[in-house]
Amino acid sequence: MSLWAAQVWLGLSIAVIGISMHRTGPAFRRHPFGTPIALLGLAVMLIHVEQPPHPELEVVSAAVDAAFWTIPALLGTRLVLSGAPLYWKSRPLPLLAGWVLIVAGWLQYYSTSSPSLTDALSAGGSLIGILLSLAVFVLCVRTAERMTPQEPETEGLDEREMKYVASVLRRHLGVDDEP
Amino acid sequence: MSPEIDSMATAFAGSAALTSLFVVLAMIGTMNPYHRPIIPVLGALLVMLSCTYMLAWTDGTAVDILALRTAMSEGVFAMIGLLPIAFLVLTALLLEASLRKRPEDPLLALLESESGSE
Repeated sequence: MSLWAAQVWLGLSIAVIGISMHRTGPAFRRHPFGTPIALLGLAVMLIHVEQPPHPELEVVSAAVDAAFWTIPALLGTRLVLSGAPLYWKSRPLPLLAGWVLIVAGWLQYYSTSSPSLTDALSAGGSLIGILLSLAVFVLCVRTAERMTPQEPETEGLDEREMKYVASVLRRHLGVDDEP
Repeated sequence: MSPEIDSMATAFAGSAALTSLFVVLAMIGTMNPYHRPIIPVLGALLVMLSCTYMLAWTDGTAVDILALRTAMSEGVFAMIGLLPIAFLVLTALLLEASLRKRPEDPLLALLESESGSE
């Protein structure tokens, strides 16, 4: 495998790892690094000094072609979500800007693509493939969890721990002294 | 095999292989001390290799690194082909979210009146 082919797959892998790190949520220390790592991965995947070989060249070209409509679509989605009355009052400006971008994304998609029956069948096959792969993963996780030995039952609090818990509760309830 | 069925089978195997690769990468990105990744990683590798073997067998080519790259590439094409359908569903959900009326909530109303009085 050539260096440029490896660069495409390395970039894709870094991007997926970055997205996963971001999805761990703000409570994790790795969360802030998720977005920069994902962007770095995309850059590694798409920016080349030399042309990658077949089939990576087609992968990069398909990703770049899709980016012309997916980037406005994603930005529009983000703006609509921030402007829609989901958690707070409706904010018309981001909402309108978001819908303009979403419509632009759809127009861009239809100007460059012509969906056919074969595309619909491929999409169906692709969906089944994704579901099968996820089903295998779920079954494997279930098996792994079933094979994990159960932790022994926790023992009750001793005298010292009971005093500590009682003092914490007393402090939180605003009770000064023991009765 | 007709070209339509052939493209459907290719999309199926490619997307299954690529999803399994994503599963492995997601486990790397979210690794924590409570993970038990060995069995899920083995399952994902099994799916990846089976799909690669299936694609190589139908194409009549050798099962090597090129076959794996081809399977992954077919997965990328299949997933890009699936994006417009996902975006169609997302557009419908966003339309519903944009047109809905926020339910009356006394706590939020109190918060708004307090922020308005400041």
